Amino acid sequence: MTARVEIKNLYKTYFRRKWLFGKGESFPVLKDVTLSLPENSVLGLVGESGCGKTTLCKVLLGIEKPTSGTVLADGKNTAEISKTVWKSLRRVMQVVYQDPYSSLDPRMNVRQVLSEPLDIHGLKKDRAERETFLKGLLASVGMSETFLDRYPHEFSGGQRQRICIARALALEPKILVADEPVSALDVSVQAQILNLLKKIKRERKISMLFVTHDFAVARFLCDEIAVMYKGRIVERAPAEEIFTRPLHPYTRALLAAVPRVDGTGFALAAGTPGAEPGRENWACPFAPRCAAATEDCRARCFELKEVSPRHWCACGAISAE
Amino acid sequence: MLKNRIFKRIFTNKTSLAGFILVSFFALVALLAPLLAPAQNKNNPYQLPQKSYQIAPQPPSTQNWFGTTEQQYDLYYGVVWGTRLAFKVGVTVTFFAFLIGLFVGGTAAYFGGKVDETLMRLTDVVFAVPSLVLAMVIAAMLGPDIKNMMIALTAVAWPSYARLVRGDILSVKQRGYVTAARTLGARGPRILLRHILPNSIYPSVVVASLDIGYVVLTAASLSFLGLGAQPGTADWGQLIAMARNWVLGTAQNPFAYWYTVAAPGGAIFLFVLGWNLLGDAFRDILDPRQA
Repeated sequence: MTARVEIKNLYKTYFRRKWLFGKGESFPVLKDVTLSLPENSVLGLVGESGCGKTTLCKVLLGIEKPTSGTVLADGKNTAEISKTVWKSLRRVMQVVYQDPYSSLDPRMNVRQVLSEPLDIHGLKKDRAERETFLKGLLASVGMSETFLDRYPHEFSGGQRQRICIARALALEPKILVADEPVSALDVSVQAQILNLLKKIKRERKISMLFVTHDFAVARFLCDEIAVMYKGRIVERAPAEEIFTRPLHPYTRALLAAVPRVDGTGFALAAGTPGAEPGRENWACPFAPRCAAATEDCRARCFELKEVSPRHWCACGAISAE
Repeated sequence: MLKNRIFKRIFTNKTSLAGFILVSFFALVALLAPLLAPAQNKNNPYQLPQKSYQIAPQPPSTQNWFGTTEQQYDLYYGVVWGTRLAFKVGVTVTFFAFLIGLFVGGTAAYFGGKVDETLMRLTDVVFAVPSLVLAMVIAAMLGPDIKNMMIALTAVAWPSYARLVRGDILSVKQRGYVTAARTLGARGPRILLRHILPNSIYPSVVVASLDIGYVVLTAASLSFLGLGAQPGTADWGQLIAMARNWVLGTAQNPFAYWYTVAAPGGAIFLFVLGWNLLGDAFRDILDPRQA
């Protein structure tokens, strides 16, 4: 199985220049991220707010440049290819953003929104052909073709997100980056959008990078899940294994924090993490919140390593049980 | 779609309708000026015809509908051709001010950094001086002439557009749909023309429609002060300037010469009012959230 997206040792650091005096500050956002997205599968990227999930998407989409490391999308190194190649890469890799309210131009009706990608890439120029295509596109995201002449403000959040998905699908991409596509929506609408994404993945054989902070959502949709903490991937495993056999203390803490109504979920073995004072300078970034931390964690920050087949974990305190 | 909305909004709202009627009325007068008041001097129709050399103004009569002002200039002729001049000044000044503001603000917002800093400080300098005073200084330096007055008015009107355009572009640049367009593969010019400008230009269009009235008002002030149109020109401000010696009337009757200011003053008042009402209507129409 070849990988649609290969990210190797990716670092992204933001700099802020000080006004007039002093040295600027640097904010490392992504640290040594290595990921691969196999063909026809969904990789979930889970982590708390501000851990770098969206930045990773931006780097992958070429909105931000990586500080170091390589990003291969569809076999092309995104940092090195020309604008023309990037443009052709856009047809392969598309994105659905988190906020369906801001990602549609309020002055464009649905027809214009969906035509834009086709216009940019000079596709389906014949009027009748385009009309049929646009209607089919709307139908494929579960919307009526009568909506073509309506404006975004006439739609609800869920409908807008469907339009965003349709816009992304207009170019018939092979890779879809979904940056928290349901977190701005009502829970009842979330389910509809997730079902839609699942259907699209099945019908169109799309590889998806699915960013979320909701484990239930990830479990529903993803084949594999990567957990991110402070810009690092701390654990990566097939979706079911993350839920049945989480290894990293952070993953366990996240899972323990998921509210349940039936009490059948994974029971947390170690104590619940809280603030452990005095560990701010430890090498392991999770140590200040880790209940399982040992003296080792003070000096060493553990690399991601394969503890069991297809299950990677970056923690020294936990061995493969 | 937009056209339907414009008409619907204007004709269902009384104040918008009033503004529309006022502005259309003035526009008609300006267009039909040669018919309403046949030009006396074919080379320069803005030259007021002088009936005689008598000093005191004469009240309205069947010959001079609005009366005559000092030195027997016909007020009716002045108001009719003054309308044409008001449109000429208002629209030209606002158009060029808008264009300069769009260019300066757009450049500042697009390039950012030092370009932004330099251009915006420059506009701040212009902003720091009260606009009427600055316009007076420029007009006085260039000499009393309508063309120079328009230059002076443009020079003080553009900074507000520059600021407005810059701010709007900066805020629109951050919106999700701009990023979305970029990830679709759109290049800079397309994003600028299809997404950023259409979403950032309308506040300036609204300000421009309100400004046309205001520019005419300022032009009248300059003319009144003798810094605009030359004496004897069919210009509303000039007509009021000529009434200056007669506004106080006589000792017995303070309103003896009321007609010297009534017609040109009323014209200025209604013209500015009309544009203001119309500007308000535009503001409501151009907001896409209002169907």
